[in-house]
Amino acid sequence: MSKPKKTNEQTDISEIIERTGKAVEEGRYPLEILNNADLYRPELRRIFGRTWNYLGHVSEFTEPGDYARRYIGEDPFILTRDESGELHAFLDSCMHRGAQFCTAENGNTSHFRCPYHGWTYKNDGTLQGMPHMGEAYQDLDEEEIRLEEAHLDTYQGLIFGRIADEGPSLEAYLGDFTWYLDVLFATTGEGMTVVGEPHRWESDHDWKTSADNFSGDSYHVLTTHQAGLETETLARGPWEELTDFPGASYLACTDRHSVGYYLSTDADTFMGYPDEITEYLNPELTDEQRDLFGRSVFHFGTVFPNMSIIHGIQSGGWGGPWACIRKWNPRGPGKTETTSWWLIPSELAEDEDFLEESHRGWESLSPGGAFESDDLTIWEGISDSSGAITHELRGTEGNMQQGLGAMTDEVETVDDPLHGPAEVTTKGLYFDERNSRTLLRSWYELMREGDAA
Amino acid sequence: MSSPSLSDTQSVDADTQHRIEQFLFREADLLDRFELEEWLSLLDDDIVLRVPVRTARHPGSEQPEFSEESSYLREDYEMIRERVGRLAKEYAWSENPRSRVRHVIGNVRVIDGTDDTLTVANNQHVFRSYGDTADHDMLSAQRHTTLRDEGDVYVITERTVYLDHAILNTKNLTLPLL
Repeated sequence: MSKPKKTNEQTDISEIIERTGKAVEEGRYPLEILNNADLYRPELRRIFGRTWNYLGHVSEFTEPGDYARRYIGEDPFILTRDESGELHAFLDSCMHRGAQFCTAENGNTSHFRCPYHGWTYKNDGTLQGMPHMGEAYQDLDEEEIRLEEAHLDTYQGLIFGRIADEGPSLEAYLGDFTWYLDVLFATTGEGMTVVGEPHRWESDHDWKTSADNFSGDSYHVLTTHQAGLETETLARGPWEELTDFPGASYLACTDRHSVGYYLSTDADTFMGYPDEITEYLNPELTDEQRDLFGRSVFHFGTVFPNMSIIHGIQSGGWGGPWACIRKWNPRGPGKTETTSWWLIPSELAEDEDFLEESHRGWESLSPGGAFESDDLTIWEGISDSSGAITHELRGTEGNMQQGLGAMTDEVETVDDPLHGPAEVTTKGLYFDERNSRTLLRSWYELMREGDAA
Repeated sequence: MSSPSLSDTQSVDADTQHRIEQFLFREADLLDRFELEEWLSLLDDDIVLRVPVRTARHPGSEQPEFSEESSYLREDYEMIRERVGRLAKEYAWSENPRSRVRHVIGNVRVIDGTDDTLTVANNQHVFRSYGDTADHDMLSAQRHTTLRDEGDVYVITERTVYLDHAILNTKNLTLPLL
């Protein structure tokens, strides 16, 4: 399914980066950045090498020795919980000849043994030993042999890793968006838990396309998902209360991250969760966070660069509620491997009826589902045509001007503590593309700063 | 483990083997041609269709290779019927125009059964190409299908599709690909 990707002949990428930065402020962007081999390695180095990248959820790593292969950009890391309970993320590259030593997607082990010459590491990344150590390595500084490790930190059970040694703390990087992550991942006292194994698939679309889509694009739903929405017999749950979708929608943007959500006027909606959800509510939520969760029907958003989120009940009656974390792993210019995890509030883990409905919602947004299958076909077409020489030669720009200047008088800024600390607009999911501009502005700010030290 | 053990392969008479194979071949033809309304008539009202997630595991892992908790599809009759209805709409973009689909089915064996209920395993390669390109997907799988013998016809009461992919190499798993 892969095609040769265009190699841009212009060697100075700063021109296209600066052009993007300028265009975004006017609600435009050069289409060629969505499939451009010259920009791809710099994206890996300047964006993925420096930002906090989502790697996994603590509920996947409950026992000492639990591990999984996860990625920062294209770099293969092994996320482990060591024997003392601490989390680590090591590059899958032996310190002898660089061979990979982790062949399974996940599992449990106390040690990793390289298949090339047998060097063996503990699950905290330190050297255990190697064959003929006494004869062959009599003067070795064992402390020096340590797997390359990413910096790790967690927020509400979400594990993030960063390659660069310098940079903001995770909490500073997430900024005001932590308020919304609380509503999404700390709704109940015991927090969320990952269920089963993630969906994974590869497709010929650029990671920015899907990160943009999830950052708050409900405008596409009307057209892309028309077939899925016209469900005739499935129960629609809280969506039936929402007669005016744009009117029920909100868009919250911080300087890097954004989330869109639908609110009901019914304060006891709780995304359609079983009634007992109110018994499990996290007492640490503020009144406003609790009220927002209470009125919530559906949330979706993106944490820059490549983590996206869904939490709520599916429209069209296709199941839920469920929470889903997406990771858009870059796999080359215009190519992405997607991982999609299913999460639920831990307190509901034994409720079989709930699990069935929740799984149904999760699978509705997978390659097997009624919704995402239509997105993927379209996203692949974007990648294909964005690599067009015509765009490069003519400097073609796509449009993201909704909500700019006098473009629409539908969008209004909301001044209500219910919606948290970000800048929030009503009808923003339909008529405001601030989320898309925020994502590309973040892209520009990191790309223009040059290579990480 | 490439798929669940088939150690329980059961011998059946040639006539039964022939009937089962003809049934699977005809069903595959309906799927290839997107004759999904007719395909629905082969399904029992209580059918369960599952496509479990597969994970690359180390030999000796205590966890199963095919997930018991998560699936790409886990559908009852009502959901399957809604999916068929969805595909019939012109704006089901992923299948407009229709994919060009071809099942090749082989290694058909009865692995369990009583007088009127048989569970059948078959291997399959499903080719799919779409749109104005030379690209194509190839999905490899083993299917386990439980059939109820109603005398003149079989009815599908359960099906699990064990994919040979830990990471899907296709943009969608539309029903006719299963």
